[in-house]
Amino acid sequence: MAVAVGIDLGTTNTVVGFVRDGVAATIADPGGFRLIPSVVSFHPSGQTLVGRPALDRRLVDAASTIYSVKRLIGRPWGSPEVQAARGKLPFELREGQGAATQVVVRGEPYSLPEISAFVLRQAKAVAEASIGQPVERAVITVPANFNDLQRAATKIAGKLAGLDVLRILNEPTAAALAYGPQGKEQERIAVFDLGGGTFDITVLDLAGNVFEVLATAGDTALGGDDIDVVLAERMADDLLKKHRFDARAQPMAFGRLRILAEAMKRELSSVDQHTVSADDIVPGDRGKAVPWTFRMTRPELEWASLGIVERTFKVCQQALDAASLKASDLDRVILVGGATRMPMVGRKVEQFFGSPPVVRINPDEVVALGACIQAALLDRTKQKTAEAMQHPRIHERSVVAEMLTEEELEVSEAPVLPVVSSAKMPAAPMAPAPVINVAEAPSLPGQFLPSAGTKELVFDVPSESSSAPFEIQLQASPAEPSRPKLTVPGVPPPPIRPRQPTMQYPYEASEAPAPVAAKAERPAPAPAPAAPPPPPRPAPLLIDVTPHSLGVETVGGFCDRLIDANTPVPCDRTRSFATATDNQTSVQVRISQGESKRFDENTCLGELELAGIAPGPRGATQIAVTFEIDADGILNVKAKNVTTGQETVARIQLVGAQDGPAAMAAMAARQAAHPLAPLG
Amino acid sequence: MPSKDALSVYLASLEKRTYYDILRIRPDADAAAVKRAFHEFSLLYHPDRYVDSPSDVTATASEIYKRGVEAYRCLSRKPLRERYDRAMGRGKLRIEPARPSTVPPPLVQRTLAEIARTPRGKQFAVKADRLITAGKLGDARVQLVSALQCEPDNAELSERLQILYEALALEPP
Repeated sequence: MAVAVGIDLGTTNTVVGFVRDGVAATIADPGGFRLIPSVVSFHPSGQTLVGRPALDRRLVDAASTIYSVKRLIGRPWGSPEVQAARGKLPFELREGQGAATQVVVRGEPYSLPEISAFVLRQAKAVAEASIGQPVERAVITVPANFNDLQRAATKIAGKLAGLDVLRILNEPTAAALAYGPQGKEQERIAVFDLGGGTFDITVLDLAGNVFEVLATAGDTALGGDDIDVVLAERMADDLLKKHRFDARAQPMAFGRLRILAEAMKRELSSVDQHTVSADDIVPGDRGKAVPWTFRMTRPELEWASLGIVERTFKVCQQALDAASLKASDLDRVILVGGATRMPMVGRKVEQFFGSPPVVRINPDEVVALGACIQAALLDRTKQKTAEAMQHPRIHERSVVAEMLTEEELEVSEAPVLPVVSSAKMPAAPMAPAPVINVAEAPSLPGQFLPSAGTKELVFDVPSESSSAPFEIQLQASPAEPSRPKLTVPGVPPPPIRPRQPTMQYPYEASEAPAPVAAKAERPAPAPAPAAPPPPPRPAPLLIDVTPHSLGVETVGGFCDRLIDANTPVPCDRTRSFATATDNQTSVQVRISQGESKRFDENTCLGELELAGIAPGPRGATQIAVTFEIDADGILNVKAKNVTTGQETVARIQLVGAQDGPAAMAAMAARQAAHPLAPLG
Repeated sequence: MPSKDALSVYLASLEKRTYYDILRIRPDADAAAVKRAFHEFSLLYHPDRYVDSPSDVTATASEIYKRGVEAYRCLSRKPLRERYDRAMGRGKLRIEPARPSTVPPPLVQRTLAEIARTPRGKQFAVKADRLITAGKLGDARVQLVSALQCEPDNAELSERLQILYEALALEPP
């Protein structure tokens, strides 16, 4: 039977999740990895690589390796974001029909939804391999701040990947759903979501099983990547000073610095200072490489990224203002997104909101977990058993149960390959290989080892006979088709707040379940059967909002606002339009999203055309147009001729969108012509 | 779950209900009561509660839900609610009925270049169009005045100049 999954289609990584027997869990690929890098590489052999193998091609074949598509998807060619990205990305962008943005690889143009479709297909394949059933339906998440064009483009990507998109869900809302209510009858929470490329803040009211979004705000060009760039700039300065080498002039060298910068940033989340070194950046005499090292301390990193982190709080204030709330009105603040692993972010969030933020679920997985919960709820074909009508629980493995102490951190410290931390685990999620060649090990950006490429590291892997209080739970191996139901119902992780104000937890907990290992070290809790299972919670209902005001252009270049930002969806508004000249047979209206009174300061979505109007004197024909924002946050339009009572043809031509039947067919054909490289 | 017929009848009846009736609250209900009522309403009519129903049932629920959203938006904002209470006193049920009788001035407009008839006038009108698109209304006014001097009897053009003056008065400093 075909199933529905939840997919967090991220700027840097994509994660897929699935609810089985009332337990939501993320899905690992055959290699044991739960994060699929959102990278697509077109190999000269004709194969299309997605994820980890594609990531490796970034340095070898940069022009054919596409990443960061999420920053550009749904953005027309003329938009400042696309124009700014043009010089900075190593692959070619060009203008397609109707102001569409395209990437060109080996002479062939692809629309941006096509690239995202490859990533979604990989996620689908990973899910199918693990579940053992075809995946046909999905909830796909987007930043809450995405506009109509970006949502529509993401939905097209889902369709091209062969998925029936059940919902385009906002990431912070998904995270709130994954966390669920904390037992209190009424609660007001904020979700602080700082990802690789985008920042969102969403304020919600939780009352019983109703999750009502009060307000959301965000910046689609603010994320951890920006910190990487700042660090890479520092490194480039250093290279210029030490070696008179200008890395900025060479995209390849600067790309290399960005990867080193990311590794540096991740390291400094757990240690106080770190040194990166590379001997292949600066070319020396007669091909001899010049070694270069760069040292940084955590305070230096924090000073460098302060400006970026501070920007998030301006956005937070916007959201609070929109909800007419003060920071102190919130009961809980949840951290989501990889960039919130920086200790400074947790500290600053605590300063702003006045209470320590909560990180109970792995911030890389929480959105996908929420998405798959929503997918289970919206899946029509699923039998609504009593269990299906409950709020699914989160798989233990994704729960960051307790903040780790310094000593524990040292053990699970990066760069963690899954096997390293398995030294503390009875059963590793993947078959442990005693000898690991780091050069061959799957390279996650954070695991990038600049100088370890040649060394062989040998790890001692304990035999499976080690004592295992949580054995069965850890055995929930990703590739296992029949995963047992969560076996420790008696010990639901308590709503733990961090012991220290500084947020310290190991990254890549998804790959290396260090928190679980640490938990297993504590005195064994009461055996499972002794404690009663937590009472089931009724199926949640999400009331989400539209992030931007919708308006139409009116005389004088002004914007006539139809639907306010932060209105619950689905919602609609009807507005009448009259012909302005005699014998006019069609009417054109430009539509925008944004908060400005001037039309051109908002994001123009496109033009609405009302056609087939019977000729008559000016003003005699009036057409009532209903603008609907559906539960996906996507605009739909219906029009009715008020004079005759008949339906009128209403077409919206979105800027830069290629969603006509012919374009869709061509893109679908291209997807079919590009088989994905097999998994594993 | 209400049946399809029940939903359709209820949807039709919404036309005659006040926002208070739709959310089933008293006119003096406080903010918390409005919120509670909207949550109750959402649990009954949010289309996500109808995923297992045929699509026309979901669509009907969705129409009902959208009216509830309209009521909630209005009643949960103090200034809007006060305005609505006054309008209700005058017998209105929706804060802005979709009645075509209340349509704003036609939004559809020809470009100034299309309206201008003389070659000289068109030249100025083209510039004025461009300036309006660029948001430079003051400069556009100068061009439009020039265009009108070329063809003083063009009523539509002079009407557009009036609109531009109004817009300039509205323009935030």
